[in-house]
Amino acid sequence: MERVNITAAPFSPSALAEQFRAHAGDIGAIASFTGYVRGEGGNVQTLRLSHYPGMTEAEIGRIMDRATKKWEIMACHVTHRVGDMAADEAIVFVSAASAHRRAAFEAVDFLMDYLKSEAPFWKQEIGGGGAKWIEPRDQDKHDLNRWQD
Amino acid sequence: MIRILFFGRLSDAAQPLSCELPDDVATVQQLAIWLGADNPALSDALSAKGVRIAVNQDMTAKDAAIKDGDEIAFMSPLSGG
Repeated sequence: MERVNITAAPFSPSALAEQFRAHAGDIGAIASFTGYVRGEGGNVQTLRLSHYPGMTEAEIGRIMDRATKKWEIMACHVTHRVGDMAADEAIVFVSAASAHRRAAFEAVDFLMDYLKSEAPFWKQEIGGGGAKWIEPRDQDKHDLNRWQD
Repeated sequence: MIRILFFGRLSDAAQPLSCELPDDVATVQQLAIWLGADNPALSDALSAKGVRIAVNQDMTAKDAAIKDGDEIAFMSPLSGG
């Protein structure tokens, strides 16, 4: 199983979780997170995600190296969609395996905070009025500050 | 030749291009000025808050040196997840 997978095709978070469990092997704790396209209360929009082929994978790999150094992570994985997505589709799946739960929880939290504002992706909402760029929330930047070492 | 890419909101203001490294351009900042010289919309967009720079797919700063053969990316604020 590749550490990082950027894909234009829909993926199944539960299938990935099983695959990761098999890949991680004999391990005590696995934590994971899945992010979905929000339906915005029935106001159905398309979310379009673009990336920088080559650099995006490399940057995510670097972020994962940091997580692996910071916590005793035996394995970790990120799958991230690009292209056009509808409400309720999974955008991102992050998982980390460790001997104990604290490292697994924190590594997944850290990876998600970095993916939200330090990974080379760009979002647009496509709707009736055309395409609108979506930029990080202040909360995302605040979340990142939690991990300063 | 250098290759110049634009991502996010910046891609609305400019298309990717390959060109000879202009005379008098030795840094990313100088390249940004050169790109914006005939294009006020692009000039504004490149000086907007939160624009990120990569040279050869490594994040760097506006004072980074550039040379023939480099790939320079100008990126609007990153938004993943």
